[in-house]
Amino acid sequence: MIRSLAAAALLCACTAAADAQDLPIFDAHIHYSHDAVLQVPPDQVAKILREAGIKKALVSSSDDDGTQKLKAAAPEIVVPALRPYRKRGEISTWMHDPTVIDYLEDRLSAFDYEAIGEFHAYGDDIGTDVIQRMIALARERDLLLHHHGDREALDLIFASWPEARVLWAHSGFARPDEVTEALSAHPGLWSDLAYRSDMLGSDGLDPEWAAAFTAFPDRFMVGTDTFAPERWYYVASHADYSREWLALLPQDIARKIAFENAEAMLAAE
Amino acid sequence: MIRRTLGRLCLLVGLMLVSAAQAEVLLSEDEIARALSHGPWPPAFEPDPSNRVSGLPAAIALGEGLFSDPVLSRDGTMACASCHDPAHGFAEPRARANGKVLLDRNALALVNLPAHRWFGWSGDTDNLWAQSLTPIVNADEMDQDAAGLKQALVTSRWADDYAAVFGPPAGQDADDVLVNIAKALAAFQETLVTGPTSFDRFRDALEAGDLATAALYPEAAQRGLKIFLGRGNCALCHTGPAFTNGEFHDAGVPYFITETRVDTGRHGGLEALKASPYTLAGPYSDDPEQQGAWAVRQVRPLHSDFGTFRVPGLRGAARTAPYMHDGSLADLRAVVRHYNTIDMERLHADGEAILAPLGLSATEADDLVQFLRSLSDDQP
Ligand code: HEC
Ligand code: HEC
Ligand SMILES: [Zn+2]
Repeated sequence: MIRSLAAAALLCACTAAADAQDLPIFDAHIHYSHDAVLQVPPDQVAKILREAGIKKALVSSSDDDGTQKLKAAAPEIVVPALRPYRKRGEISTWMHDPTVIDYLEDRLSAFDYEAIGEFHAYGDDIGTDVIQRMIALARERDLLLHHHGDREALDLIFASWPEARVLWAHSGFARPDEVTEALSAHPGLWSDLAYRSDMLGSDGLDPEWAAAFTAFPDRFMVGTDTFAPERWYYVASHADYSREWLALLPQDIARKIAFENAEAMLAAE
Repeated sequence: MIRRTLGRLCLLVGLMLVSAAQAEVLLSEDEIARALSHGPWPPAFEPDPSNRVSGLPAAIALGEGLFSDPVLSRDGTMACASCHDPAHGFAEPRARANGKVLLDRNALALVNLPAHRWFGWSGDTDNLWAQSLTPIVNADEMDQDAAGLKQALVTSRWADDYAAVFGPPAGQDADDVLVNIAKALAAFQETLVTGPTSFDRFRDALEAGDLATAALYPEAAQRGLKIFLGRGNCALCHTGPAFTNGEFHDAGVPYFITETRVDTGRHGGLEALKASPYTLAGPYSDDPEQQGAWAVRQVRPLHSDFGTFRVPGLRGAARTAPYMHDGSLADLRAVVRHYNTIDMERLHADGEAILAPLGLSATEADDLVQFLRSLSDDQP
């Protein structure tokens, strides 16, 4: 009896490990910006993504050229998002720059996108003409918004466009209870966990995060955030890290966070 | 001839006194309080509890001898001092160290080591003897193994000195001999402490309320210090008496090694640490209480680890150009230029929020360099 239990336990461990290895991943937070394009060519990036088992990736780049180049190299993986920046350095000034709108309109008429973002906006930044116009552009085309910023800004986005679908980058670097609160307040909100490592503590899955994942199994997703060119070489390690902590969750929730939630978010009406 | 030089010297000293009398302390109360946190220096010696020969004169002497002796390398061509040159502040002038092959990193200066909790640019180890063992067995460096090392030791001129400290090697396990040798090397390196500098005389005078003596510290260095403490935010990472918080940060230095390979920094360092048998929590530590072992037990990987490097101490740094983990910056002026024009495109928006281009004028940049130099004008 004892022996067969042990064998069963072993079997479980094995299947879990095998599953973990080919658990498909939707990386919801990828950038391929101008400096990366020069240093890690598109074919190399496509190879990195494929070898890491990243089946799909929400890609936004400053400038957008990187996304288009990567889409050409890995069309089956890249889900294009349009960033309102031509350089990453515009992170804190773009909402005061009306030429951003011209840039967005040009790109939106030339290429297909599933989302606008990732953009940085805090508090009443959302009230600026540029951001309001950007939200209107997204609304006309029913595009997802990938927002990096605080809860106040998030609420203001939904106030401007109540039917919006918003992906909250890094879940606002908020605590798990704050994230769940935002998720219950806004049914059109999803949470990316990019650049956060607090899900995994020294004793396994953090209990507060575990509670959040159980309460909202359909709303979380993972992402690497390739903010510097070198970070492309982190994509595979990041995928493994995600598989490691996801393996501590029930399998159906793990598959949702790893892949399915991002697909469902993009398909949502 | 001699007399004329002497006369000129007197004149010079006279001038210095006059200008000293006019000089003043430029720091505010708050800046003085923060300047005090960078001393006193040097710290009192405290033996490393994980190393039973730490502070033992015979072990220090043995370590000093071994440090410069190529007998530790398999082919007898490479010593610790080959890359850690005492005449270059125990670092070396080349950008990246050359072992059997070109290594990925700049050789760290071996001074003020007890100030650290983690060793190497990426903290592969949590103690000095483990870090000293690494190059001996690394195939790209001294390429030895425990058995080969024991054999080399027994037939070397260090055999008796070793026996006097650790007992006769003949009956000892080769792994223990390797660790013992590393502990003797560590005992020696612990003694490599930089001396008090003009900054310390300034700082100590401020603490004593002796403004006249404090005012002898050049005004350019004082202005540089003000930038270091204030606008530059330097002191947020380069903290305390050794000018390092001992942790890992992204200072905006690119970390490609080749076009298709990067230095993963702390990310890889943590993997090495977790796999090492030579940590403070492992069986080779001599400390029954395992002080400090909590750190290796508790440290967890973070996504922000990737491409971060340990904050170097700045004492003695003027002697150890070039700078940064890959030796990519040729001199202190280039380091200041790096921070002055730091590439925000490289940093995560929520990462090192304290780094931003400083916009220092040429004079201000010079002042900051003068301050940094004032941390190295001790007599080594
Ligand atoms: C081939 C060149 C080379 C040789 C030989 C060498 N080192 Fe180093 N040393 C380096 C480099 C490069 C680093 C930085 C390594 C890193 O960060 O991974 C370093 C780092 C160190 C450090 C870490 C210092 C700190 O501040 O954390 C110590 C200690 C050290 N070496 C001791 C030694 C000792 C002892 C020997 C001889 C047994 C030795 N080294 C031989 C190149 C060398
Ligand atoms: C965010 C933390 C941080 C801040 C702020 C910071 N540094 Fe550094 N510093 C580092 C790190 C990390 C390195 C090593 C980087 C590397 O090797 O890639 C470093 C390296 C250096 C070095 C090279 C030392 C050597 O031995 O190679 C000098 C000199 C230096 N910093 C001076 C400064 C000055 C001056 C300032 C303020 C203008 C400053 N630092 C601000 C973290 C910081
Ligand atoms: Zn991002």
